[in-house]
Amino acid sequence: MENWIFPYLRQYRGLFALAILLGSLTILFGGALMFTSGYLISKAATQPESILMVYVPIVGVRAFGIARAVLSYVGRLAGHQLVLKILSDMRARLYKIIEPQALFLRSRLRTGDILGALADDIEHLQDFYLKILFPSIVSLAIYTVIIICAGLFSIPFAILLAVFIGLLVFVGPIISYIYMKTKNEQWKRRKHQLYQQFTDTIFGISDWIFSGKYATYIQRYETQEQKLLELETKKHSFVNWRDVLNQIVLGAIVIIAIYWANEQTLRGEFSPTVIAACGLAALSLVESFLPLAGAVSETSSYQDSLKRLEAIQPQSPPLQIEADGRKDSLNLSQVTIEINHLSFGYTSETPLLDDFSLKIGQGEKIAIIGRSGSGKSTLLKLIQGALVPTRGEVLINGMNAHELASAVPKLMAVLNQKPYLFNTSVMNNIRLGNPEATDEEVYEAAKMVQLHEMIMQLPKGYETNMHETGSRFSGGERQRIALARVLLQNTPIVIMDEPTVGLDPITEANLLATIFATLKGKTIIWVTHHLMGVEKMDRILFLENGKITMDGSHQQLLKSEERYRRLYALDRPLYRGEWGNGL
Amino acid sequence: MDKALFSYKEMKPVLAGLAILTAIQGAIIIIQAYFLADAISSLFGGDSFANVFKKLVIFFLALVIRQLLTVWKKNIAYHFAAKTGKEFRESLLQKLFQLGPRFVKEEGSGQTVTLVMEGIMKFRRYLELILPKLMNSAMIPAMICIFIFFINIRSAVILALAVPILIAFMILLGLAAKRKADRQYESYQMLSNHFVDSLRGLETLKYLGLSRQHIDQIILVSERYRRATMGTLRIAFLSSFALDFFTMLSIATVAVFLGIDLINGKMELRAALTILILAPEYFLPIREVGADYHATLDGKNAGKRIQEILDKESLQQKQDPIPLWQSTSTFSVKGVSVHFADSDRPALQDIQFFVSGSKKIGIIGASGAGKSTLIDILSGFLAPSSGEFQINGKKLTTLSQLNWQSQITYIPQHPYIFHDTVFNNIRFYHPEATVKEVEKAAERAGLAEMIQSLPNGFETIIGEGDNHRGRGAELKRRTRTTDRPRAGILKQPSYHHAG
Repeated sequence: MENWIFPYLRQYRGLFALAILLGSLTILFGGALMFTSGYLISKAATQPESILMVYVPIVGVRAFGIARAVLSYVGRLAGHQLVLKILSDMRARLYKIIEPQALFLRSRLRTGDILGALADDIEHLQDFYLKILFPSIVSLAIYTVIIICAGLFSIPFAILLAVFIGLLVFVGPIISYIYMKTKNEQWKRRKHQLYQQFTDTIFGISDWIFSGKYATYIQRYETQEQKLLELETKKHSFVNWRDVLNQIVLGAIVIIAIYWANEQTLRGEFSPTVIAACGLAALSLVESFLPLAGAVSETSSYQDSLKRLEAIQPQSPPLQIEADGRKDSLNLSQVTIEINHLSFGYTSETPLLDDFSLKIGQGEKIAIIGRSGSGKSTLLKLIQGALVPTRGEVLINGMNAHELASAVPKLMAVLNQKPYLFNTSVMNNIRLGNPEATDEEVYEAAKMVQLHEMIMQLPKGYETNMHETGSRFSGGERQRIALARVLLQNTPIVIMDEPTVGLDPITEANLLATIFATLKGKTIIWVTHHLMGVEKMDRILFLENGKITMDGSHQQLLKSEERYRRLYALDRPLYRGEWGNGL
Repeated sequence: MDKALFSYKEMKPVLAGLAILTAIQGAIIIIQAYFLADAISSLFGGDSFANVFKKLVIFFLALVIRQLLTVWKKNIAYHFAAKTGKEFRESLLQKLFQLGPRFVKEEGSGQTVTLVMEGIMKFRRYLELILPKLMNSAMIPAMICIFIFFINIRSAVILALAVPILIAFMILLGLAAKRKADRQYESYQMLSNHFVDSLRGLETLKYLGLSRQHIDQIILVSERYRRATMGTLRIAFLSSFALDFFTMLSIATVAVFLGIDLINGKMELRAALTILILAPEYFLPIREVGADYHATLDGKNAGKRIQEILDKESLQQKQDPIPLWQSTSTFSVKGVSVHFADSDRPALQDIQFFVSGSKKIGIIGASGAGKSTLIDILSGFLAPSSGEFQINGKKLTTLSQLNWQSQITYIPQHPYIFHDTVFNNIRFYHPEATVKEVEKAAERAGLAEMIQSLPNGFETIIGEGDNHRGRGAELKRRTRTTDRPRAGILKQPSYHHAG
């Protein structure tokens, strides 16, 4: 709350005050309409001499009626305007917090999915403002106005009202909130379990069909749904009884208001015309408090979103000295990477990399092979300057990698497992590699990665939206688009982080052939977990437990290492020669 | 409104029950208003509070009874919705298993899960909301209007006229808003997705060195989105403005005319007050129809979608007994062709072959040659467009036969491992298998050693999203095959197994 709700209300206090004022006036004018109407007909019932005697209330009734509708309209617009402004700011803020740590959000889920969920959380908070926060504050404002107005006439009456309306404004909502919170949590937990289980079933649906036992499954599933339903029924009847109690309080308040107005009349303070007015106004105003309990009890459903947002803390980025002055002096045609006695670990006991040394000259092609968890990805992040070494150094043309900061994308491009394709045209997606590239340069890049003809056949050619193409782009083609980007980015170094994972062997072989053909002359650092295509590399390193265990060219290793021979035989796609082009 | 509503089981008694309760409720609303007006006008006439207290008590009781009736009606709708939802869900699940993996793939597995889990819930919510609302708006305004008609014709006419005007305006404005929204739909969609898109692709932006300057883009698009949204809202809110405006104007008009009649001595205060209190009650059910608009629409659409799936022709029509496969059994495929609606070329054309006894048969083809289609046909997930099968000389038009499918083991390229223990995964097809049998199957599949190396042996949980996945795939590939298969369809299981 402190971080993601209140600061914005302070920032936009003008608009916020306006939205609350308009919201409150809408309800007060509704009450005023009923008050004036009650007064009007009571006054008329005294059969005054001429209609002019009730002229003011007649105008009042119309004015309040029309103004209420207008206020409600303007008020809703003001509320939405405010919320959309806040959301706009939240998006910018979230982005600013996340941008520096984008490469570090580590989780079992894919980074993109986590970030996508955060974006949804912000959208979700929109409803928190509009459905809970604003109505609650408006209710409080009206509550205050009513009590003050009553207090002007009689303190005991004001206190009585404060207690009774307080039941609707404080007691009901608080009890509802507490009750619903636990129930909602239970419900969410069970629903989540059911979700996972059912997803599992749908993915394995063929197995269920072959097992011939799906009727048992349906039964089991229904038992669980039944439990969920029981929970919902409890909530349902709670809400029902709360509403009945609310109505009882409402009735009591109306009777109190009439009693009080009558007392005032008897004492001669009011004219009898006010009794009807007070009764009707009370009915209309008190009704506005009734939805409050329901709204407040849903607060807990926004807490997950808030919690996730709160959990994202601005991280102090690894020491970054803006090397803007020096980056111009970087020689982009000859880049040497030198890794000296590099050690790195997130905790001190288990280093991911242990005294690792390597020198890579311009144009060298290096494959790094290792199981997952062997430190491959960490090594890549150190080379990209995204992490600072615990000991030792990573030098790029003699400069510390982590000090190069924003110059890094000029030095090295990345091809990773799942290149992200943005929801814009194919043209824009490729051009991201170099926003200044001309159309011709984009076409050229697409031709090099052998996608040009395929793109030209799309309904709108290069202007086709990436997502509209749906599944038209296969895994291999998506990688080719990413490769075209990399070509436009035109960096001396290209880092490949298992770009062929999940592709079938033929597609993989073809893609690798295109990659190596188009990246001639560039330094390639390729992380992979199997040996397909490694024979094209100058040097192959095996990384195990943070150390290099085998090192050499394909020919050298084939000659000297028995283990390498075995692994290579295992991974060699047996039929490639015979099948590759035949089918 | 929605014709499908009347096709649900037990709809008629439910509607009848609701109608009776609503009629009582309408009467109670009138009683409540009458006694409040009566009490107030008596006080106005100088009666003592003690004397009118009885009237106020009746008002109060009416208020409570009215609310109890609402609760009763909500409960009827709730239980009906829960029951209908459950029936819908059961038939939907049944149907999903009949339609099989082909349908799930077409529909998307995520979509299917959401439809069953969320769709049914939304549909239930829809039934729950719509039934009392329909009843209320059909009966209560009419009852109130008729009651007022007998007291004061002019007020009744004003109220009766207000409704068609109000509805006409709401429709006009609603259409205008929809036109505007439709016109902007594409850019709107793009703007609203921009932020999610940016965050999802943040890693890529970072590698391209564009992430920092992208913040300007985010602010720009966010602001454009806000302006576009406000433009649409300005028109969309007009329809509720019209609703408010005409309601308030009608009440104000009724009040003014009542005042004039009172001045002229044509009516008394009690009657006038009753009408004034009833006027907002008259509009209330109509206003409530528009509330929860999105929940209602979502639920209605979900119901429609579910009904569409339920109406789909399922493959399993009649079940023929198919005996267990033996060394003397024969199976032949005759002239089987498959045409898909979205392609001119047949996926399979005039396939013929004959098998007898236990054989090992390989089917080889390039991608797109129709291997997967043939496997779906043989598994009974797809019915051929033409052609037939014969098992032991007995003709069958499809292989969607439970007896046939239970004799098949299918080992796909990416076998699915359930999120469960190794033990349960192995005995998936035969949940009654004993520990011994499972151990034996694991041993025959050459997995005994690997399973022993797992942290909890046979009780280790494997499946989606855990780190034993690679081994799990191997485990399943090897094990379930030895698990007493009658006939096996192998689909490239050893094709690309690296790691």
